[in-house]
Amino acid sequence: MLTYTIRRLLLAIPTLIAISLIIFLLLDLAPSDPTANLPLTIPPDVREKIRQSLGLGDPIYIRYLLWCKQFFVNEPLNMLEQWFGWDIGGDRLRVLSWQTRSPVVDLIVQRMPQTLWVVGMSYVVGVLIALPIGIISAYRQYSWFDQVGTFVSMVGFSVPTFFTGVLVIVIFSVWLGWFPSIYDTTHQVTDWQSFLFQIKQMIMPVAVLALFNAAQISRFMRASMLDNLNQDYVRTARAKGMRERTVVLVHVLRNSLIPVVTVIALGVPQIFGGAIITEQVFKVNGLGQLLIISIQGGDLPTVQTLTFIFAVLIILFNLVADVLYGVLDPRIRYD
Amino acid sequence: MNEAPSAPLVRVRGLKMHFPVHAGLLRRHVGDIKAVDDISLDVNESETLGLVGESGCGKSTAGRAVLRLYDITDGSITIDGTDISNIDQDKLRHLRPKMQMIFQDPQASLNPRMTVAGIVGEPLVEHMSLSKNERLDRIYELMDAVGLARSFANRYPHEFSGGQRQRIGIARALALHPKFIVCDEPIAALDVSIQAQVVNLLEDLQERFGLTYLFISHDLSMVRHIADRVAVMYLGKIVELAPRDELYATPLHPYTQALLSAVPEPDPVRESQRKHIILTGDVPSPANAPVGCNFCTRCPKAEDICRQIDPEFREVAPGHFTACHFVTDTTRKTAGSTAGNEANT
Amino acid sequence: MLGALAAVAIAPPALAERGSDGHVNIIYWQAPSTMNPYLSGGTKELEAASLVLEPLARYDQDGNMVPWLAESVPTVDNGGVSADLKTITWKLKEGLVWSDGSAVTSADVIFSWKYCTDPEGGCAQSEKYNDVADVKAVDDRTVTVTFGVAKPFPYGPFVGAQAPIIQAAQFADCLGAKAPECTDANFGPIGTGPFKVTEFRPNDVISFEANSNYRDPAKPAFATVTFKGGGDTAAAGRAVLETGEFDYAWNMQLAPDVLAAMASKGKGQVVSAFGTLVERIMINLTNPDPALGDERATAKHPHPFLSDPAVRQALSMAVDRELLVEIGYGDAGRPTCNVLPAPEIYKSTANDGCMAQDVEGAKKLLDDAGWVPGADGVRQKEGVRLSMLYQTSTNAVRQDFQALIKQWWADIGIETELRNIDASVFFGGDPGSPDTFQKFYADIEMYANNFDGTDPESYMANWECKQAPTPETQWQGNNMPRYCSEDYDALVAQMAQTGKLEERAKLAKAMNDKLMQEYIIVPLVDRGRVSAHSNTLGGVVLNVWDSELWNIADWNRMK
Ligand SMILES: Nc1ncnc2c1ncn2[C@@H]1O[C@H](COP(=O)(O)OP(=O)(O)OP(=O)(O)O)[C@@H](O)[C@H]1O
Ligand code: SF4
Ligand SMILES: [Mg+2]
Repeated sequence: MLTYTIRRLLLAIPTLIAISLIIFLLLDLAPSDPTANLPLTIPPDVREKIRQSLGLGDPIYIRYLLWCKQFFVNEPLNMLEQWFGWDIGGDRLRVLSWQTRSPVVDLIVQRMPQTLWVVGMSYVVGVLIALPIGIISAYRQYSWFDQVGTFVSMVGFSVPTFFTGVLVIVIFSVWLGWFPSIYDTTHQVTDWQSFLFQIKQMIMPVAVLALFNAAQISRFMRASMLDNLNQDYVRTARAKGMRERTVVLVHVLRNSLIPVVTVIALGVPQIFGGAIITEQVFKVNGLGQLLIISIQGGDLPTVQTLTFIFAVLIILFNLVADVLYGVLDPRIRYD
Repeated sequence: MNEAPSAPLVRVRGLKMHFPVHAGLLRRHVGDIKAVDDISLDVNESETLGLVGESGCGKSTAGRAVLRLYDITDGSITIDGTDISNIDQDKLRHLRPKMQMIFQDPQASLNPRMTVAGIVGEPLVEHMSLSKNERLDRIYELMDAVGLARSFANRYPHEFSGGQRQRIGIARALALHPKFIVCDEPIAALDVSIQAQVVNLLEDLQERFGLTYLFISHDLSMVRHIADRVAVMYLGKIVELAPRDELYATPLHPYTQALLSAVPEPDPVRESQRKHIILTGDVPSPANAPVGCNFCTRCPKAEDICRQIDPEFREVAPGHFTACHFVTDTTRKTAGSTAGNEANT
Repeated sequence: MLGALAAVAIAPPALAERGSDGHVNIIYWQAPSTMNPYLSGGTKELEAASLVLEPLARYDQDGNMVPWLAESVPTVDNGGVSADLKTITWKLKEGLVWSDGSAVTSADVIFSWKYCTDPEGGCAQSEKYNDVADVKAVDDRTVTVTFGVAKPFPYGPFVGAQAPIIQAAQFADCLGAKAPECTDANFGPIGTGPFKVTEFRPNDVISFEANSNYRDPAKPAFATVTFKGGGDTAAAGRAVLETGEFDYAWNMQLAPDVLAAMASKGKGQVVSAFGTLVERIMINLTNPDPALGDERATAKHPHPFLSDPAVRQALSMAVDRELLVEIGYGDAGRPTCNVLPAPEIYKSTANDGCMAQDVEGAKKLLDDAGWVPGADGVRQKEGVRLSMLYQTSTNAVRQDFQALIKQWWADIGIETELRNIDASVFFGGDPGSPDTFQKFYADIEMYANNFDGTDPESYMANWECKQAPTPETQWQGNNMPRYCSEDYDALVAQMAQTGKLEERAKLAKAMNDKLMQEYIIVPLVDRGRVSAHSNTLGGVVLNVWDSELWNIADWNRMK
């Protein structure tokens, strides 16, 4: 398993380099202009100067190699300096965002907490509610619980979060006044009171996203359970005289979880991608919002860096999913 | 041996297992699949009752229903003096050690995420209070009994061959000292070369532990080899039940006759002289069984009455039961002579 | 930063009023990405920066220039602007200090110019420094800006939120190509304004605290500010008007009924201010008849009936501008009778008669001019029927307007055919397309236009003869009506030579009145900017000429 993992990681390197080039080319081909959003009163020659100052005058391969150097060499060196307090020296230019003129990696680090808190928590909550719902739905297939579960999943899956988001804001912020409609990213949890506030401001975005996540995962769990419930080995377990709980929770569930766990692992990069719409609706201003405003603003270095990091995460979690599969299912053996 | 006078260990009367069929948007109940439709049989202590029939006729369902792996639709099942037909699952659980099942598909019936020791040991944990070491001893003992090397204890099912897997299944079934085992085509999924080994193992074990088998198979020669008495099923019903030799010598029911006529004779001379009864048409769906005799759509002897009245399953000779309008005590000679000619000449 | 801390420590205790009103929450539905207005031309960045960085002079809510860091606004009259209109001399207020306690000097002013005009810096506001030949320090508090050409309006450099003064010490190493590397300075510029940055999260939120070195010891009333960005207009409006989480929301571009419903919750109010954006009807003085071929819609062929001033006047009189505002813009609009509605000093009152709809008057006017209704109710004279094609861009509000106006014109006996053209084509300026607003192959067209800043000189020059789009100019030019008047052209030329503000205002008004009274343009709605603030927030004076937050030092919490 270890050699397998290492081999996969090594293989990932050329893949990622290719991906970074493709992203770069695609972004370069896409019509986008970092000065497009400036007020019309700024004349074309000033715009041209701005573009030149951003380095857009250089040929594409220079810009790509520059990005590679900044991202693969300068950023890691900078990170080492920061973590260990070393002074490696040298004048290194980091990947700079065009919109903010500040290092992209700093922006990402700054936005990571709120995205992980809100989107990550919603994923955890989504999984935690999806699993029991999926299990019970499958075990009591076609019962009213299953019917309601199916309906709720359908709603959760098909109703977009910009609708549910605004709906809960209108109900819980405007009418009832229970929760803030705008997320405070500067809020620091220092004591019980501030912790309560943090919970309060997280409830709505987390609930909205969790509903969406849970809808997907519970369907998956249900299908996987149903697959296994009709397997012969389940009958064997019953014939052995095992308790029903053991039959369902030990035999059926453990086997059903294998594909579900890998699906959950594959979904993790989405957390880092942020939930663009939900972040926008609740003003969480995390990574998803960073990506979307960078796209809107034609901020290529930020878009490039973010998409590349997502690509890394996707590849990484694909590997995690595969390894998990191997760990969980004795029938799968790598090497 | 086949006329053992002792009270039957298993007694089944009027057993029905219907699976409801739902359809439409609201999943309304639109009918039933009558997988097992009113069967009665006894299995005596230490004997092997063979249950044969074509694929889909309801053998597995019958076997599972007898062990109450289903909640049955109707009928009564008494095992070792206890009526288990309506007993709730929790009480039933405590009776499970007495009655076990060996499944048709050794691969599918073993939990892929459990080791051999886990699979065999799990019922021991549940039903016996053994120390860890005692349990391990018992596992080894069982593995020895079915001819598995002890070193395999920590392996997973997928690491074994088909025959070995079936041995695991057998060891598992034996773990709790059962009296009665339903063997649901235990050899159907195996290579011919291994089939004999497993059958011999089952016979050995029967001898050693005084087991009673309900041996389900569609292989008539195998049943002839292992069974003491044989029941023939067609479309959810038992059409004939008789001691083995009698059944093979003088099959009374037209369906049994047709089945036996299809069994190849080892002797080529006799084989060439044999008359084959070819059945035409398809087996009707158990969801939509014909009125009257179940076999009437394909029976070469069917007459009008067959399409109106369901023949009664009755004893036509001592220990020989069948369900056909045209088999009676008095007609037995005629029917017997035909059957006899076919089977014995 | 250390300097700032030290300054806080040694500064005399602030007067009781500064910071006494606690915290104020501002929401912009677009988030600022930097605090350096020279690196971003976006309104959101300019306005966020205006809490910290200030210019020498800025515009008040009426578009009048007011001295800010300067003692006074230099003019030809007070000798601040030279007679040849080539130099302007600014003098800083006495005792000005940066938020770190150091003095503001003419070096900072000169540095700001250098910073923005560095060819490698990509300064978004370099337009403001056009034609500046040199900026020189006269003494510590005085600078002279020299232009390469005569500048009748020399108030580009250092005026308004776009061209503030930045601290030379902080940005010294950030000139040109190095500008983007100065992240700390760009995110936390040291300024002279009422607040200073405590935390800047790009494209998300900014935290400010009161500047303890602010020149007015009693201000600002608020101790801290949260400036949240992002989301959408409706959410920002909701946060101020419905939930009350925020005190101020910027730029509420919402449908009038949506905004009214939010405001009815009683938590806050909607405020509007008006700039120069006017929705107007342009009248084609030339004949757009396709039969004329290449000479269609050119000055060679006067319009068969719109060349009659009586008809043009009747068109204007028949329109109910109040109703248009109510239907289309609500608080974001108001009726106007001028094509130059603002700033205050340029606003004419000579044409206000148009405010009231006068259908009977219009009919009488047409009757008197000899246009009499025919059998089908459409007026005609000598075989010419008053039947017109009315075009505009595709846009729900504009189509509502078209329908209403068509009805009013029908009431006075003028037949109208409506047409709408996709905005990208209509405004696209493609000389090959017959559907551009410049080609004006219709009798009447409607759109909105405005000008940047407060000075109307180039805007009013739009209606010079030579600005008329023609085939020879590839249909470029802004004089859609193809208006041509020697008198008007003379006024334009005169304004280009006049430096005195009052004189300039007089000329601009004269031009506006000429266009209005000849009914070349029929102005409809003055479209403004709308913001919302909580009922407890006092001191808000909405300003379209400068940063909306220009007077945040005066904001306070109403008890
Ligand atoms: N759970 C179930 N739900 C609905 N129908 C079922 C169910 N189990 C079995 N059946 C149907 O009942 C009939 C009998 O099935 P069963 O498995 O008992 O046949 P079988 O005789 O064991 O066949 P084989 O020799 O192929 O194993 C078949 O038509 C099958 O489709
Ligand atoms: S009852 Fe009739 S149909 Fe049924 S087996 Fe006998 S002869 Fe055939
Ligand atoms: Mg079967």
